[in-house]
Amino acid sequence: MKVLCVAEKPSISKAVAGHLSGGGFQTRNTRNQYIKNYTFNFDFGQSWGQCDVNMTCVTGHLTQAEFTSEFRNWSFPPPEALFDAPIVTNVVDDKKAIAQNIADQARWSQLLVIWTDCDREGEHIGNEIVEAAYKGNANIPVKRAKFSNIERAHVISAAKRLVDLDEKQVSAVAARIELDLRIGYAFTRFITNNLRPLRGPMENLVISYGSCQFPTLGFVVDRYFRVKNFVPETFWGIKLTHLREGKTINFSWARHRLFDRMAVVILYEKCLVAKKAKVTKVQKKPTRKFKPLPLTTVELQKAATALLRMSGQQAMTLAEGLYNKGFISYPRTETDRFDRGMNLKALVEKQTPDSRWGNYARGLCDGGFQQPREGKHDDKAHPPIHPITYAAPTVLSHDEGRIYEYVVRRFLACCSEDAKGEASDVELQYGDELFSAHGVIVSEKNYLEVFIYEKWDNTIEMPKFTVGEQFEPTEAMMTDGKTSPPSYLTEADLIALMDANGIGTDATMAEHIQKIQDREYVATVDRGGQPAGDPEQNDNEPAPASRGRGRGRGGRGGGRGRGGSGTTTGRRGIKLFVPTQLGVALILGFDRMNFETSLGKPFLRKEMELKMKAICDGHTTKDVVLRESIAQYRHVYMESQQKLHVLKSACREFVFGQPGS
Amino acid sequence: MDLASQLRSSILSQSLPPPSQTFVTSLLAARNPPPPLASLVATAKSRLLACDLSSSPSLDSASLVVFPAGVENTHLREQTLQRDTYVQVLDIENLSLSRWEQIEELESIEKGERTRGREIIRVTADQDDGSGGEPQQQRATPSSNATHRLVLQDRSGKKVYGLELRRVPQIGVGKTKIGEKLILKAGTRVARGSVMLTPETCQVLGGKVEAWHKTWTESRIARLKEAIGGDQRP
Repeated sequence: MKVLCVAEKPSISKAVAGHLSGGGFQTRNTRNQYIKNYTFNFDFGQSWGQCDVNMTCVTGHLTQAEFTSEFRNWSFPPPEALFDAPIVTNVVDDKKAIAQNIADQARWSQLLVIWTDCDREGEHIGNEIVEAAYKGNANIPVKRAKFSNIERAHVISAAKRLVDLDEKQVSAVAARIELDLRIGYAFTRFITNNLRPLRGPMENLVISYGSCQFPTLGFVVDRYFRVKNFVPETFWGIKLTHLREGKTINFSWARHRLFDRMAVVILYEKCLVAKKAKVTKVQKKPTRKFKPLPLTTVELQKAATALLRMSGQQAMTLAEGLYNKGFISYPRTETDRFDRGMNLKALVEKQTPDSRWGNYARGLCDGGFQQPREGKHDDKAHPPIHPITYAAPTVLSHDEGRIYEYVVRRFLACCSEDAKGEASDVELQYGDELFSAHGVIVSEKNYLEVFIYEKWDNTIEMPKFTVGEQFEPTEAMMTDGKTSPPSYLTEADLIALMDANGIGTDATMAEHIQKIQDREYVATVDRGGQPAGDPEQNDNEPAPASRGRGRGRGGRGGGRGRGGSGTTTGRRGIKLFVPTQLGVALILGFDRMNFETSLGKPFLRKEMELKMKAICDGHTTKDVVLRESIAQYRHVYMESQQKLHVLKSACREFVFGQPGS
Repeated sequence: MDLASQLRSSILSQSLPPPSQTFVTSLLAARNPPPPLASLVATAKSRLLACDLSSSPSLDSASLVVFPAGVENTHLREQTLQRDTYVQVLDIENLSLSRWEQIEELESIEKGERTRGREIIRVTADQDDGSGGEPQQQRATPSSNATHRLVLQDRSGKKVYGLELRRVPQIGVGKTKIGEKLILKAGTRVARGSVMLTPETCQVLGGKVEAWHKTWTESRIARLKEAIGGDQRP
């Protein structure tokens, strides 16, 4: 029996072929220089048994949805016609040879096995492969291998337990592609057509709209104004210090601070009149600092931007590379709990050769191992991100090495014990006011020894206090201070906001953030105030943003640098996001239209993401979702048309600096 | 005991502000035969708590204790109220929050949004509570160690500050209504012209003066902004 296996990208194809064949496969070239066909024998078990296998791959999506040629013109038919214009799905020109290879190979095969990444996008690519195979063999049966890393035993076990392609996930992605295409094109053309006549800097711009980009930009604009409009206020407090056994203990006021001087004066005076403070509670108890939860994509991105000084997109590209090479598990996952059946100890064991954390891993193997904490998320597709095999520093690039190090240290920390210590609390009543002091002595660092990204330091060791004891505090002072504005958003903040508001999936967030920079809707500044890039540069990109494709998958477009920041990938300061004038104009323009749901807010998109999920869960269908979501956005479109002057005047105000127009 | 005296003593037994003779008489005369005592008392309660304590003829001036002379004197470190004193709330502020924080929250509610952690939640009209008269006010319960300052007014119209020396759970922005009635119990301390509020000495009776509360709610953002002297919105 002949079996055709198709992976999502060359690296996976080669790795899987290697594992299934035990290393003895033959390689044939195809008409695409990156795509090879590997042939070998493998016993699939089940009803198939020993088979002649031909393993090949695609490079991400094969097909693209587009409007028919009558709709190429930007102004006629008018953009709103795109909400129900016909859509055709064709194999992209430069993928035609790949599709042909699949059709040719399918002709001689009795079974097609899909080896795309196991997530929604991968399911859809799987379906594209099936369509291509049908061109050569309309009756070929289809199966899917379910895997989440390319470690040998895992791959072989996936090959022996083939499942069916999940049509629901395919439908969900198809719905998303169609919505992104219609909505993205309609609004991009609408906004661009209407703002270009304002001339000046807008004359040649393509102002692209994307249903994720705009809410993401909205967060940046919102924070910008929160910083800009901030009004500092004075507050007052009471600070109590006491010197005992040679140590100065700071007690904090239970009211923390009050925004009224007179009130604090009155309360402070009562303290002074009382003269003596009375100890109301002394407590010593064991405390712990929890080890981290197993690693998800969102957390990896946050850590990469906050701790490793990379962009979320860089981190994802690097992580994907590590996955393709078999060093880590699939890096797109929402799951923060390990399956109880997984042999985590064996994975820890593999880290023992390392000179940095090898000894620590050895310690875990020799009895220190603890089952990781379990979070509340499980996408039922992939485990949390974890190392699969050991990668010596010499086989990794500098930045790959840093991501790998984080993944490994996080994993080892998960398999360790919480850090432990002893907390001392002392509470006082002084006049009518309550004060407290808190001290911690760390006794066992445990996971902190390997998880160098977190700190837990000893505070002062608390001297002896006895309940009921009265004493005159060494010093009691009335203090004052001023509130300070929030800071501009960091990438980690932005990812957290997108995550909380359902904008994008964990896998696409980094791309949306990159997109609004490429579009020059936002710029980044280094903390400290220097622009990180050159926000003035004005090279327009010709195409609208939302092409209806998910992520740049496969070999293409993976390692793009940061737009505008044009620098090395080395260490930089933390970047802060601020909107450009155009970014502000777009968001305020739509906000000021005062619809129930502004395009700059997350609500519409969140609803859409929930609907995708509902399709996957079988609670609704693609057709229903398309109908509902298109109706919603069409409604917003009509409203925007009526209130176009609001958007224009926002542009005049912010882009052209003509206030009050 | 005649119905008038029964009604009067029932009202007083609930710690409501003492009613005037005219109030009792007109309440009894309103319907003939008069409704049962329980419903008379209920009517009396809602009217007494909704009246303007400083001027309403429904109240018995003679038996309403007012603040002692010099209560507002900030030079006096401490004095004590000798008798139970009825007051009404004219203003309430949470001193633990910056005014700007409160402005930001009120403005986002005005725009129909609310935040829960990082999540922005859209508030639509039908999701809002059905109370009608309370258009999208802050409903967040103040934290357990918030400190509030009230403006309190007695029968004579005198206004003094009331400061939460210890947390009184019934007091809070969004909870306390303007025109709400309190009893400051005998023994209540006054420091530098501010009445010290504690759960033991401050009895919250409830009620509100509808019109005052409405004005207060509507002008709250404006007052907060005035207090920080800044109003430059985009």
